[in-house]
Amino acid sequence: MAERVATEVDLLADVGEILLDEETIQARVAELGRQISAAYGGRQLTLVSVLKGSLPFMADLMRHITIPLRIDLMEVSSYGGTATESSGLVRILKDLSSSIEAADVLLVEDIIDTGLTLNYLLRYLRGKNPASLRICTLLDKPARRLVEIPVDYIGFTIPDQFVVGYGLDYGELYRNLRFVGVLRPEVYSS
Amino acid sequence: MTQGARVNALDDIRPAESPRPAFAHASEEELARILDFYEVRWEYEPHVFPILWNLDGAVLESFAPDFYLPDLDLYVELTTLKQSLVRKKNRKLRRLRELYPEVRIKLFYGRDFRALMLKYGKVGLVNELSGTPGQTTPTMQPESVEPNLQASQRPGVDASIGRPVAGKAPGPVVAERPRRRAPASPAPSVVGRPPRAARSRLAARRRTVTDG
Repeated sequence: MAERVATEVDLLADVGEILLDEETIQARVAELGRQISAAYGGRQLTLVSVLKGSLPFMADLMRHITIPLRIDLMEVSSYGGTATESSGLVRILKDLSSSIEAADVLLVEDIIDTGLTLNYLLRYLRGKNPASLRICTLLDKPARRLVEIPVDYIGFTIPDQFVVGYGLDYGELYRNLRFVGVLRPEVYSS
Repeated sequence: MTQGARVNALDDIRPAESPRPAFAHASEEELARILDFYEVRWEYEPHVFPILWNLDGAVLESFAPDFYLPDLDLYVELTTLKQSLVRKKNRKLRRLRELYPEVRIKLFYGRDFRALMLKYGKVGLVNELSGTPGQTTPTMQPESVEPNLQASQRPGVDASIGRPVAGKAPGPVVAERPRRRAPASPAPSVVGRPPRAARSRLAARRRTVTDG
């Protein structure tokens, strides 16, 4: 079967409801930036973004933080990915490019639902001996939580719906939408 | 060795031929794979909680959550079957929470499991795994692609994992639960007394019967 190529029109049509529009997202991200700037004043902050979903959030958030900071990127394999299933274990696809030892690290996530990936990442990063390790997520979906992890900064707590946009994908699509929307069930059930 | 180094070392460990528990439902086996993938240690039905006794103190009904995650001190129960069974399970869960309020348990309904599969791009599995008896069948895939080891069974991992954790098991355990097939792993074997609250209620009931 030929791979479906979604056009921009398709992307919008596949979204049944806009949960968070662009203006709402940007206002909240700016507020988070102010809170983080105040909390980390005078300290050496490193933002660690978890690819790929948190890229837009990271890009916007860092520009609203007014203290000096460094950024780094990580990517871990997700369960169900064909490239990783043979091992049966999560893998670090992209590791940090510099040491975070003694640094104040803020892990930037797009969404936390089960907490399984975050739990893995926290264990991994704690092994690198940062001075502190906190979590900032754009979206929190507590209804799906399996691993309870205290989250320091939450953009929005959302209902138990499958959302895409602003970095979040379904089948690697929809990441470029400027809002967060609920994907129509017929898109993934067809 | 740092924890990070340990995690990387685990990357090189491959599944071996050690048997997995005989899961009662295919969705349970899928959840076990997910937990393995994210290196969350689990035990399959390690504890059975009595939830109903007769006046002589004999256990009439019990509840064995599907998974216990020792690092999180959390039980997980999967319910992907038809609604009538969900209602029965909800009732048991309410009873469990009344009798053992210190026990942390998460109930995964069919919709939760479907969402989990959707998140991991395994939509096709949903229809196979939910809404049916879902009995597990021998895998047809090559052995090497199946994560056949529990975290507790991997080399280099704490050998105590995979057994009920001392001090964590909040309640008594009985030997049998009729609905499930017997797991391949050692069956729970400790028989205990009802918890204090249950004993009090039981004693109160006895007094009521005697007084009446």
